[in-house]
Amino acid sequence: MKCRECVEHLYEYLDRELTPELEREIKAHLAACEPCEEHFDFETLFLKFVRVRCQTQGAPPALRRRILEQLLEE
Amino acid sequence: MASNPSSPPPPPPSPSSPAPNPPARSAEERRAGFEQEALVHLDALYRVGLRLTGNASDAEDLVQETMLRAFRSWDRYTPGTNAKGWLLTILRHLFINEYRRRSRHPETVDVDTIEPFALFQEVQEEDPQGAFFDRIVDDEVLRAVDQLPEAFREAVQLSDVEGLSYEEVAKVLDVPVGTVKSRLYRGRRLLQARLYEYAVSMGYIKGQPKK
Repeated sequence: MKCRECVEHLYEYLDRELTPELEREIKAHLAACEPCEEHFDFETLFLKFVRVRCQTQGAPPALRRRILEQLLEE
Repeated sequence: MASNPSSPPPPPPSPSSPAPNPPARSAEERRAGFEQEALVHLDALYRVGLRLTGNASDAEDLVQETMLRAFRSWDRYTPGTNAKGWLLTILRHLFINEYRRRSRHPETVDVDTIEPFALFQEVQEEDPQGAFFDRIVDDEVLRAVDQLPEAFREAVQLSDVEGLSYEEVAKVLDVPVGTVKSRLYRGRRLLQARLYEYAVSMGYIKGQPKK
């Protein structure tokens, strides 16, 4: 596999959306290609960063209470 | 205390409430099932509501209405299937029908005008490990997501924050999987561009001079 093809599948690979065969091919390429590995590691970090930072928000406790009260009235 | 053969038989199970009548108990069960399978996704619904409406008060109303409607049609939900996706679909329909009309104009995005931006290429010499991410505060990340065009924002939120698969995102948004992939790709690149501009403006990274 060439670097270009590998990078084309970057997000599908990180999102675990590839076929097992293609996933294996990419894994093999990454193990042998340092620049691609560094690129993939960076994007992994980016996605984790977005997830963790945006998940700090949660529903206010008052909203939960209101919904529970509402269910009881149903 | 170990079991003793001479001890008296255990008393019959005493009902905690007097003579439960069947309809009341089934309503109870229905509520318990709903709490167990639907209410656990409250945080995710609230976050998606926030990203769609852009303010806490509308998000709360939207989520409350979503939960009410979901509860009323709870019998149509098959237990053990994807409750999160089901709830998000209800929330999104409600948003489109009840909220979007009276808030912002529906955005149209000319996807081709979005320049491809790859953050890694910009920072790979200066900070290939992405250490500058740690210096960006949460609010700034949320602001960057909120600034994405709606079609990209909801794809990024559902996939990258709430962890839905391509297939699940496609179902919620009612678009083909290929559309989800392209929206995610562009949304992530746009988000990277915003965060890069911010990090450069704050001096977290030097960045490269514009060509």
